[in-house]
Amino acid sequence: MGNAQDHQWSQRHLSHYVEGDLGRRARRRLDRHALGCADCGRGLRAMRVLVFTVQRLDRADVRAPATIFDRVRLAGAGDPAADA
Amino acid sequence: MTETEAALLARAKAGDVDAFEELSGAYADRLYLLLLRLLGDPDEAGEVAQEVMVRAWRGISRFQGRSSYFTWLYRIAVNEANRALARREREPASVPLGPRELDRPTSPADDPARQAESSELRQALARALAMLAPPLRTAIVLRDVEGLSTQEAAEIAGVGQAAFKSRLHQARLQVRAAIGDDALTGVNG
Repeated sequence: MGNAQDHQWSQRHLSHYVEGDLGRRARRRLDRHALGCADCGRGLRAMRVLVFTVQRLDRADVRAPATIFDRVRLAGAGDPAADA
Repeated sequence: MTETEAALLARAKAGDVDAFEELSGAYADRLYLLLLRLLGDPDEAGEVAQEVMVRAWRGISRFQGRSSYFTWLYRIAVNEANRALARREREPASVPLGPRELDRPTSPADDPARQAESSELRQALARALAMLAPPLRTAIVLRDVEGLSTQEAAEIAGVGQAAFKSRLHQARLQVRAAIGDDALTGVNG
């Protein structure tokens, strides 16, 4: 029963673990469980890969369209609030 | 805020469009990419980006500097993206991150890096992100893709930090479920 509870709890907190949002006791609880649970051990690796990969989705080669200020230009100079 | 940015802001508040363009232009590419990630459509992202700039221009006299100008501008962008999404009929979003945009070299030094080299995995991640509900997508894009701090990302998303974290964790769990642990850890392929 305790193991099943630990399992469900661990599955729900894999992202918290990777994010560093777990306190020391909670972290130890997940560590202990993942050591003996292949599913949670793999889930933890999967979550680490997920976060690592998403953090490296590229931002290069994407430029804002040259038209991005066109409507501001059309609004013209002067008091910007007066245009609201 | 840098001295230059403060000077540009003062001029923009006084109605100088050139100053506004220089001030906001520094964030234009990043802002457009954010909109592309949230909306998934280059044309729509371009249109919304123009709307963001118009709203920023109209509202700049009310900008008090309690947050950074970047945070303020991003907040407008997220709000406008949400408005655009609300206007859309419910349909699966197109993939916001094409393979070319994901093609970034990574270090082969550790296990996650080796997995990150898989373009298949990157494309699967992009598809999974596109399928998330907008608030969850916004959370994972701001925190993980954009690399903003929780405080800044929560401020831009317009929620408290606890609520933001809850969305972030939920988003990651949904992405993990959509892709599967085997694909993420490289088992069977």
